[in-house]
Amino acid sequence: MLVDALSVRGLGRNFGNLVVLDDVSFTLQAGRIAVVLGPNGSGKTTLLRCVVGADRPDAGEVLVQGRRADETDPQVRALVAAALDDIDFFPDLSVVEHLELVAYAHGGNAEPVEEVLAELGLEPARDQLPVTLSSGQRRRLALASCFVRPRRVLILDEPEQRLDVRGRQWLADRLRRERDAGTAVLLASHDPELIDAVVDERIEIGR
Amino acid sequence: MTAPPATLADAPAGVPTARQVRTHLRRARRRHHDHSLSDVLGDAYVVVLFVGMYGWFAVSASRDMLESPTVGRADPGVRWWLAVAALLAGAGLAWRGLRALGPLLVTPATQSWVTSAPIDRRAWLAPRLAVLLTAATAGTALVGVGVAALGGVTDLAALSWAAAAGAGWGATALASSVVAQGSRAGRRWPTLAGVVPVVAAAVVTALVVVVGRLGDGLPRPAASPAAALVAVGVPLAVAATVLAVRALPRVDRATLTTGAQFANAAATATILLDPSMLAGLVESRRWRQIGRVRSRRFLPGPGWWAMLQADVRRLRRHPSALLIWTALILVQYAAALALPGLAGAAQVVFGYLATDRLTGGLRSISRSPGLRRALGGSDAALRGIHVVVPAIGAGLWWLLTVPTVDGGPSWLGPVLALGVVAAAWRSGTRPPINYGGATVNTPFGMIPVDLLRQGGRGPALLAVLVLVRLFLG
Repeated sequence: MLVDALSVRGLGRNFGNLVVLDDVSFTLQAGRIAVVLGPNGSGKTTLLRCVVGADRPDAGEVLVQGRRADETDPQVRALVAAALDDIDFFPDLSVVEHLELVAYAHGGNAEPVEEVLAELGLEPARDQLPVTLSSGQRRRLALASCFVRPRRVLILDEPEQRLDVRGRQWLADRLRRERDAGTAVLLASHDPELIDAVVDERIEIGR
Repeated sequence: MTAPPATLADAPAGVPTARQVRTHLRRARRRHHDHSLSDVLGDAYVVVLFVGMYGWFAVSASRDMLESPTVGRADPGVRWWLAVAALLAGAGLAWRGLRALGPLLVTPATQSWVTSAPIDRRAWLAPRLAVLLTAATAGTALVGVGVAALGGVTDLAALSWAAAAGAGWGATALASSVVAQGSRAGRRWPTLAGVVPVVAAAVVTALVVVVGRLGDGLPRPAASPAAALVAVGVPLAVAATVLAVRALPRVDRATLTTGAQFANAAATATILLDPSMLAGLVESRRWRQIGRVRSRRFLPGPGWWAMLQADVRRLRRHPSALLIWTALILVQYAAALALPGLAGAAQVVFGYLATDRLTGGLRSISRSPGLRRALGGSDAALRGIHVVVPAIGAGLWWLLTVPTVDGGPSWLGPVLALGVVAAAWRSGTRPPINYGGATVNTPFGMIPVDLLRQGGRGPALLAVLVLVRLFLG
């Protein structure tokens, strides 16, 4: 039997008496890319935060490869890579040291780091400290953190934000390669070109 | 090649231990700065010296003050029971503080780059738990000694019992808050653990006030409760610590990072000596918890009428401000019983605190030029409209606490009440602090002049009012 890479069942989240997510359910198989669509304030980021475990849902559950996606479970953290808008940086570590740290903490080595740096155009900034990076470079570094580590599920919140034209082209290409490698990708995006280019499934919320 | 996709079976294999990652991170960071162990120990020494010196000075000064004729004679039983109420209220507020912070937390950078990896969470968090437990135990032992010394205890053995009692209950609270952090969302006991001591404090205070004003007052217990507190608190601390260690693997990202925002805001507020930074975060969290409100049209009338209605509506949606306003009435009655000679000064201070709770609208429009532009009219008119609610609140609060104060000329009360409104106005209309201007060298280091000027806006006037009350009362 084929096990869904990501399954969301009856997810609900309230802020006080404001219902942000109400009974959201969907499944995503390996090697598929899904986009969460909805107007501003519809709960796209909240949904992604609940899937990753950055926020606690009030109802429902998230399954990753058939097991309950409890963020405290190391196996779940090993499977799910995410770049949300809450990323922060060590002020005293360089770009390459950040990526090596992630690779090392996931039991890998620095081998993929140089390739990812080159792919994202971060090579010239490899020794720079985060405070000296532009917002676009910071965004690229956040995305790079997902690609230097193992993953079966990739969660991205508006990954096209602050990327230039070349960066957006790279992103579309990168997502296609993730799909080909069997990774399930869930993203929120407002970029119709990116959505048309890569997305297999559309999940509409807040309508 | 980029890193290969993981599979469920091999996910945790090859993952380094928490200690290995910590060492890797420490080595990488050390390459960019040379903060040595002796620097850290030097900083710790200064903090310990500062806390010890000023803490003991505060205890001695407070004890002398309590015994001075200016404060007046109070029933020892009243003071004893009000100290119990103060400790209960402090415990409840400390619990809420611990819950807001986590108490276990990781910085956003650590979350993004380290704890998102499948590292054993218990091993990563255990050293932090040990540091927090040590700090809480030591800190609350000092509080125990301070409280006992304030009560006139000088015997070393009795002070040791007080220290042990404080340490036991401090460790219990800290460890229990970690257990709460690792528990599932929606559990009620963590909320109750914060509410029960505060409610108990209110009940004890009310009882002391009612019995004190109508009868002879509550008697002080014959024996010190320190031994009983130790007998219960220490085993509880051990049990709670065991449970806390067991809960560490269940402490999730959501609670670890929420506290970090508070810690960052608190650190920034401390460094810049500007509590409004922390207050802003607390306020935004509070409104977020409320989430949605019932929107209604304003009653027809001129612009100022709508803004006044908005200010009243703001207050109704923020019931804790009214709760504190009410609680301070009880506190004033208690202060008048415990410190009869300082009841007038206490009325000024607590009146200011109560009025300050009602200045949310005034603070919002004073801090935002954009909001003032959008609302239209002159700045003075806008501020004038938003001081109506605090002024009415101050007047009412003052009237309700008049029975606690006697002495002084008849005009003094109304003048001080107006002064309290003026102090709240000055505090509420404080502009943002300019850190780029002139600085002044103080025993605490270089401090921007604007910080002293703005920070003292309300409190400076309040100090004048207190002095007036003390001299004329």
